[in-house]
Amino acid sequence: MIFKIFKKELKDTLRDRRTLIMMLVIPVLIFPIILNVFVGISASFTEEVAQKSLKIGVVGSEQNYFIDKFIALPEQLGKKEIIFLTDTSQLNKLIQEDSLDLALVISSSFDSTFAKLKPAEINLIYDATDVGIDERARNYVQHIEGIAKQERYIDLQIDETKLMPFQVNYVNVASKKEMIGKLVGGILPYVFIAFGFIGCMYPAIDLFTGEKERGTIETLLTTPVKRWHILFGKMGVVVISGLLAASAALLGLFLSIEVFDLVENEELLNIIHEVLSFEFVIMLFALLFPLTVFFAGVMIPIAVYTKSFKEAQSIITPLNIVMVLPAMIGFFPGIELDPVTAAIPVINIVLATKELIAGTLEFQLLLISFSVMVTLAIMAVLVSYKQFDKESNIVI
Amino acid sequence: MIKVENLSKEFTLTKQQRKEYATTTNKAIAVNDISFECQPGKVFSLLGPNGAGKTTTLRMLSTIFKPTNGSINIAGIDAIKYAQEARKKIGFLTGSTGLYARLTPNEVIAYFAQLYGIPKADYQARREHLYSLLDMHDFQNKRIGKLSTGMKQKVSICRTMIHDPEVVIFDEPTSGLDVITAENIIKLIQDCKIQGKTVIFSSHIMSEVDLLCDDLAIIHKGNLLYSGSMSDFRSNMKESNITAEFIRIVHESQNTVVL
Repeated sequence: MIFKIFKKELKDTLRDRRTLIMMLVIPVLIFPIILNVFVGISASFTEEVAQKSLKIGVVGSEQNYFIDKFIALPEQLGKKEIIFLTDTSQLNKLIQEDSLDLALVISSSFDSTFAKLKPAEINLIYDATDVGIDERARNYVQHIEGIAKQERYIDLQIDETKLMPFQVNYVNVASKKEMIGKLVGGILPYVFIAFGFIGCMYPAIDLFTGEKERGTIETLLTTPVKRWHILFGKMGVVVISGLLAASAALLGLFLSIEVFDLVENEELLNIIHEVLSFEFVIMLFALLFPLTVFFAGVMIPIAVYTKSFKEAQSIITPLNIVMVLPAMIGFFPGIELDPVTAAIPVINIVLATKELIAGTLEFQLLLISFSVMVTLAIMAVLVSYKQFDKESNIVI
Repeated sequence: MIKVENLSKEFTLTKQQRKEYATTTNKAIAVNDISFECQPGKVFSLLGPNGAGKTTTLRMLSTIFKPTNGSINIAGIDAIKYAQEARKKIGFLTGSTGLYARLTPNEVIAYFAQLYGIPKADYQARREHLYSLLDMHDFQNKRIGKLSTGMKQKVSICRTMIHDPEVVIFDEPTSGLDVITAENIIKLIQDCKIQGKTVIFSSHIMSEVDLLCDDLAIIHKGNLLYSGSMSDFRSNMKESNITAEFIRIVHESQNTVVL
């Protein structure tokens, strides 16, 4: 009987345009949109910075070692236009009003100091809020400094390696997959959790408050079906809707990568392929299932209690902020799954998925997370049952 | 048959409700110790002004509410102890009954047939009979949300009768309906009577009561003011028509202190 109710409610839910949009359309589109915007903006921004011809004001002798090398800088380091200025009084103003991007002030004693093999002073003036200028300026200086060093090694007949006291090899034991998992892996489960919640929301309101509001619950309660069968049939649809919304988000991610080719970085693409394995998807849904039941179990008593769609929505929507937003904590690098975080609902799922992506999920911690969520889900179901069994709640 | 003995229903009031009703008591008595009997092949009418306790009584009969006290027997079944069994015998229709707007009449009827556990062959024969009777073939596959009020009412009737119930409970079935649409309900009640079913309906439309009922009970503020046959009611009337008599009985009860 539960399945018959489930089947009917699912059919009814899938015919609701509002639910379909929230449950399937938006989740499918979210990753392609995020990635498209992210890739588009970052690519055009990088290109724009690289292509930009910098207006560089130079104060100092037109002919000295540094200026000569500066003028001769290869174009790969970025296009530039050099403007010689006589004094430094207007430099800050010119930079602030974007007439100049960068200023180079070379002291009058530069050549003599340089000739004495001492550090000769150069001042670089720029506005750090102009993204990319700082990096361009450092690249210019490093390039010229490299040339000057090489020349000095030759002049002084010094073997360059003798000035390198250490040969340091930094060995990172973390794989790229692990680093990506731990640094940004929290975002992925967060999106699934957020859509899991939104996916549950409309069906929960529609199947409980909506049925009360439309006056259909009364007739349903006069049929020879046990109340808990009705509750479980309806709850099944709420849970499935949450999981469908999360699946739609996963499908959106898959489409972004495999169909729309929104991730071009080969290395990253390989890691994502490695992460999105069949086992990962199974584990992800195993973690999302008790969470979605918990969400449904929290929403249903509210939907059962409230008398109108609007009232239910006004209570459940802020619940999203209370229940899902804190899971953002899982985004921060350094916050990892341990016995304490594994006991915190919702956050434990984000962290466990993060570890899952990184391939470092420990079984005991997974067990704690899973047990906590299953216990909460059972409690939420019991509360739902109690509320659904209350006469004052089920009919208006 | 429906047999109701010493039926009472108390509701616990919330803080908000106590404020609304300007009372300090925690409980409200919706139905107070009422007893009556509805016979097969007869139409029993439950009369009362708004807030009299009619809907609460019918909700107890249809097992939606559990009584605080008393007993209900539906077609020989103790409806409190064996609510699920009793529901198989009941058809329930209210004036405010909604239908699943996104489903078609065929889907709704099939769904309720499944809920009542009707065997497939019986269901098909029963559906065909009701569709012909109510002239429903033309809109059986249209979404209910797109049907007219009259068509929706026919679907509701079909939904109520699909399991061929022995007892039919109507709670203000014609409220909000125009005369033409209400006629479907009137006809349904008359058909049920002819078929020997037990029919109870609540109403405050006296012309309907006059037209349909064999027995009646009048309740007001949860108390039973009158219970008897329609013919007895007519012959003992102190007023010239049944509407005036109904008003007189209700007013008289307001002047009487119920101990």
